[in-house]
Amino acid sequence: MTEIELLSWARGPGLQIATIIFVAGVVIRILEILLLGRKANLAEAKGGEMSGGLRTVFTRTVPDRTTFKRSSVTIVFGYIFHIGLFVVCFFSAPHILFLKDIIGFGWPSLPTPVIDAFAVITIIALLGTLVNRLTNRVMRFLTNFEDLLTWFLTFLPVITGYVAFHRIGLTAPSLLAVHILSVELLLVIFPFTKLMHAFTLFLARWYNGAISGYKGVAS
Amino acid sequence: MSELCNDTDFRKALEALDDLQQRQVAALFVQHVLALSGDKRLERVLKTAAEADATQEELASALKSAHAVTFDNHARCGAEGNWSDQAGYFVARAAVAATTPVTQARAGGPAWQAAMSARMAYTSSLIEDASNRSAHAECEWQYQALSDYLNV
Amino acid sequence: MSASLEKGINAFKRQVDSTVAAFFSSCVHCGLCAEACLFYTETGDPKRTPINKTEPLRRIWKSEFTLVGRVGKMLGLSKKIDDEFLEEWQELVYDSCTLCGRCSMVCPVGNDIALMIRKTREGMAAAGQAPEGLVGATTRAVTIGSPMGVKWPALQAQIKHVEEDTGLKIPVDVEDVEYMLLLSSMEIMNFPEFIEAVAKIFDKAGTTWTISSEAFEATNSGIQIGVSDIAAVLVQRIVDAADKLRVKTVISPECGHAYTAIRWDGPNLVGKAFNFKVRHILEVMDDLRKDGRLKIATKETRKLTYHDPCQISRRGGVIQEPRNLINMVSDNFVEMPDAGKMNWCCGAGGGVSANERADEIRLKVFERKKAQLDEVKPDAIVSACSNCRIHLEDGLEEYNMDIPLLSLTETLAEHLAED
Repeated sequence: MTEIELLSWARGPGLQIATIIFVAGVVIRILEILLLGRKANLAEAKGGEMSGGLRTVFTRTVPDRTTFKRSSVTIVFGYIFHIGLFVVCFFSAPHILFLKDIIGFGWPSLPTPVIDAFAVITIIALLGTLVNRLTNRVMRFLTNFEDLLTWFLTFLPVITGYVAFHRIGLTAPSLLAVHILSVELLLVIFPFTKLMHAFTLFLARWYNGAISGYKGVAS
Repeated sequence: MSELCNDTDFRKALEALDDLQQRQVAALFVQHVLALSGDKRLERVLKTAAEADATQEELASALKSAHAVTFDNHARCGAEGNWSDQAGYFVARAAVAATTPVTQARAGGPAWQAAMSARMAYTSSLIEDASNRSAHAECEWQYQALSDYLNV
Repeated sequence: MSASLEKGINAFKRQVDSTVAAFFSSCVHCGLCAEACLFYTETGDPKRTPINKTEPLRRIWKSEFTLVGRVGKMLGLSKKIDDEFLEEWQELVYDSCTLCGRCSMVCPVGNDIALMIRKTREGMAAAGQAPEGLVGATTRAVTIGSPMGVKWPALQAQIKHVEEDTGLKIPVDVEDVEYMLLLSSMEIMNFPEFIEAVAKIFDKAGTTWTISSEAFEATNSGIQIGVSDIAAVLVQRIVDAADKLRVKTVISPECGHAYTAIRWDGPNLVGKAFNFKVRHILEVMDDLRKDGRLKIATKETRKLTYHDPCQISRRGGVIQEPRNLINMVSDNFVEMPDAGKMNWCCGAGGGVSANERADEIRLKVFERKKAQLDEVKPDAIVSACSNCRIHLEDGLEEYNMDIPLLSLTETLAEHLAED
């Protein structure tokens, strides 16, 4: 297969297959959770469930001081790469063009040097999280194959994207194909891993806040 | 000295005692129930409490010792409760009261607190006891003991 | 598969609902929960990471309730659950956790890990993996009515003593009153002054109340061991007595898990909403304060701090009330660091103190509380749970710290106005 054929496949059928698996997988995982249901609470309420749940969805984003002091490396690196991924994914010009093709509209992009900076910071932060995962006593204990796999699946698109954009190494079409394929790999494996937290954390935080809110505690 | 026959007067009389008297009367009360505790440390504690010349350091040390006895003897949460052992716990509590300085004592003063804990010790010992001994016997004894002490 | 293991696995399965599934789906192995848990921070042992304690439940969730897990199980790829594995986890689930819930407050994805551990105990207990001390306590609770074997005649003797000491009558089995007071065995055995304090406060406030001779025990060992059926039986006794006496409110005393059991779990355990309200003694006293029926004459001059009992504060919702009450009786009240809903556990709740095997670790983790106390340097510590009180006293003695523990209820009673 020539590199043009590979790129066409990646952009065409590859993307379709990956998207279908991704969407179906995410929907199944979420349904698996919601269909289990939970029993109604018969105790006399002291506070609101909905308000408690919604509040925690937002407030859990900010760690309390003591927690931050004890786990600053994990928290800081974690935030940096999440924010970095978000900016690079949604504010780089080629990505916006790509999304515009699919959803019909786009939005202003950030200048290339800015995106570059975010990409590099994200790469460094991701490497930092890996080192942390392998050296921090608790994380080393908890880390399993899935943790390493998902790290790799997340890292690959960022690094291949940067390399493709700056035409380092192979020719442009090949680099682009590799980048798109790496994203498709991520999409396909995503629903079967902890990466689902991107969706399920809203449920988890809501449940947490609802349970506590019922008792009058802001969690 | 009029006959003391109720707790209101009893308590008033105890509260009217001076610091040394409080301590010595408290020690009397504890001594009476000492047999309900198996802990040898309390004997030394009581000796110090009854001693007119006991120094601050000696009393502080006795208090610490009495506290230690209460920790070793209290019922553990969820463990099978043994009321005979609890009697020992309350004897230790009474000893704590007897060696607590008046300014730091709970309501009623050291002597009253010691009297109450001593009664609790006696009551505890009766709980698993099938005989019909009355718990009131201990307060009667305490009234008489105070009367005797004041009349000497 | 042994019969008990099968019972255990079925019990684990019954625990999985949408909350459990959402929580396990979201865990990213970040390890923040470990730094919130005193059993990790004071031992440095990563096994004690809270989410790790839920591993038995996680394996069941994965292999029975997820598509990918069920496929994996069919292919023989799922992690095994056998008696050996569960036995290994016993120490983590029971000795190294008080269900304090601090982990649930810090998990970035929002997992209520303490709830997950509580649910894990259901499976462990059904599989015969609960510690001996707890099994004994629970058996006594069911057969005798109290986990420590306290029977009505013993309480009667205590009541008589209290009546002598206060000159007040303690109402027993009185119908149509405002409050029915529950008591924990710990209070009955170690701190009868609590009953005195309540009697005095209610007398001055003109409150009508009673103790029931048929249901006086507040402690719920079923909750601690993790057997909901037993917990339900214990709650039902209270419900029956409260309904019989037609009381308006049942009061949970100064005991942590008792409050959780009757206030928040109770109706869900017995499957019916209560006909009466449930309040903690602190909430009742705060109501009296608001009504102007709690009058304080003298004040504490010692520098006081407050230890938040986890089940009352963070997991119970009674956080501000004790502070309102302490401020009535003290102008010298200083909060410890992390006070309030993020306060650190004393280390003894949730069945840990009833488990002799956990004695060593229980004293070790007290160092976290010690660190807080070293910062605030109080003259006395106020709290509202007898178990916290005993354990803190134990810990303070172990480390040669001379700081008295005060019950909030007893402290208020000591400073009551005589009118």
